[in-house]
Amino acid sequence: MSVKKISKDDFAVFVDALIGKTSVIGVQAKGDRFDFAPLESAKDLRLDYDVTLQPPKKYLLPPTEVLMTFEIGGAYHSQYQDQPFVLLGVHPYDMVAINQMDELFQQDNYDTHYMKRRDNATIIACDVVKPSENVFASSMGTAVVRGGYDILLTDVGGAYVVESGTPKGEKLLAEMKGTVADEAALKSRDAVWSKNEKGLNRHELKCDAAYLPRLLEKAYDHPVWAERAKTCFACGSCNQVCPTCYCFNVQDDVNWDLQTGKRERAWDGCLLDGFTKVAGEHEFRNPRSDRFRHRLYRKAKYVPPKIGGQIACVGCGRCVAACLPDIANPVSVYNRLIDDLGIG
Amino acid sequence: MSKPKIAIFDFACCEGCQLQFVNLEEELLDLIGVADVVEWREAMSEKSDEYDIAIIEGSITRLEDEERLKLIRSRAKILIALGACATIGGVNKLKNNFDDLDEVKKCVYGTDSKKPHLATQPTKSVGEVVDVDFHVHGCPIDRKEFTYIVRCLLLGKTPEIPDYPVCVECKAKGNPCLWQYGQVCLGPIIRAGCGARCPSNGFRCFGCRGYTSNPNVDAAKDVIDKFGLTVDHLKTKMVLFGSRQEPTIYG
Repeated sequence: MSVKKISKDDFAVFVDALIGKTSVIGVQAKGDRFDFAPLESAKDLRLDYDVTLQPPKKYLLPPTEVLMTFEIGGAYHSQYQDQPFVLLGVHPYDMVAINQMDELFQQDNYDTHYMKRRDNATIIACDVVKPSENVFASSMGTAVVRGGYDILLTDVGGAYVVESGTPKGEKLLAEMKGTVADEAALKSRDAVWSKNEKGLNRHELKCDAAYLPRLLEKAYDHPVWAERAKTCFACGSCNQVCPTCYCFNVQDDVNWDLQTGKRERAWDGCLLDGFTKVAGEHEFRNPRSDRFRHRLYRKAKYVPPKIGGQIACVGCGRCVAACLPDIANPVSVYNRLIDDLGIG
Repeated sequence: MSKPKIAIFDFACCEGCQLQFVNLEEELLDLIGVADVVEWREAMSEKSDEYDIAIIEGSITRLEDEERLKLIRSRAKILIALGACATIGGVNKLKNNFDDLDEVKKCVYGTDSKKPHLATQPTKSVGEVVDVDFHVHGCPIDRKEFTYIVRCLLLGKTPEIPDYPVCVECKAKGNPCLWQYGQVCLGPIIRAGCGARCPSNGFRCFGCRGYTSNPNVDAAKDVIDKFGLTVDHLKTKMVLFGSRQEPTIYG
């Protein structure tokens, strides 16, 4: 794969040309924050953003989507969104989250709806320029990403170093102006990576992230779950802004003929009342403290064995910012457990 | 199977939720196609005492209205409370905050306050007078939610109504939290289902869909402390739709 150096002006020309050809979802200002949204012009693109309100997940797993239409007692037809698009400006921690979802949605029941969108997506990632207020990607080993993207951009001052990661990215790179990246440009990029590997760490985990599954093995009955959950609104804000939360609920609705209808899925959240409600109104994880514990166990104990030991928290810090009673911060909970239970 | 008969009745309210029926436009024809509307004062002159589904709009503020509602309940197989006035008492419950209801009447109606049809009592939600089978929340109701509930009933299926806070829908929409912009938003304790309409347009949640069935009042107290506010701040924000309701932060 190739590495180029391109001026910011030339990159803007490339982006505008891309917008003319395909649907581009890029990071833009939203009030005094940032979010991914359909991009109309390169001048609206803000690759200097700190963090987006929502992770890019929603373009691969939308908050609500129709899975199929059906006729009661008759045929059903799966529904797919089948349009190519470009996700522009994905930070490394969010890229890691997408890589994890890619693995998970291909396991067990291969999720054709997710995978169709994923196959249609071209991802242009970019290294972090400005750390957000609550990022802790350095603690989770996700401050820099080595794969999954089609193209990776690194701001090295007046220009971007651009590297392709896939044949799709290589083709796009060929459409960009710029020169082969020289030694100095690559050194500047190394410097950005070294800086971010340490510097995206507003909350510092007191252990190696890889130790977390073992830490949680002995923390199931720790008092921290009940203490924190006392002021939990069960509002699921932590779930709703999380790039690695992918639980969903499925519901049917019929048309007025009461014969045909559609099956929709919508994001769900393990913190919500009713998340574990099953037939007969039985709810097997009813206490808030159990649900509060479940989220952090899922991130660092239940999911990791499914994805080669990776921790399913990428340190974006969105849950920290979104939690009104300020109890969601995973680092603060894990550190508390380390303080009480020790390492090893 | 014959079409089920639906009757729509209004009590103390602005009739804005019924207006949402009229606003259904083309879907209204679909509704009429699958059910017979036999009484609906706002839109037709016919009346009927025979109906399967009674839809009740408004809160109950007079003794004679309690009697009328009980009669409707006795005739209907299914009773639906429509809109905030019916489901939680709504804005009408504001008056329940005052001890002297005669003073309130004088203030509102002036010299007419003694007229017999204004002999009102403390406001009750529909559920405080009769059993309610289904609630259509909101001020006004969400049309899509209403038609979804009707279709579920016609199929004999229990509708899934959210019992989680507004924050769920607000965050999914990518809104920043209004608390971080100095607004005392009721989203964390109020039932979702509105699509976070108010916060998505920059206004705090006023609480028109009522509390979730298990709101965390302790957390609310903790948060108002954190933001340097007092319980009184929160009370003033809850008074519009949350007057004299359980659970409360009073006391």
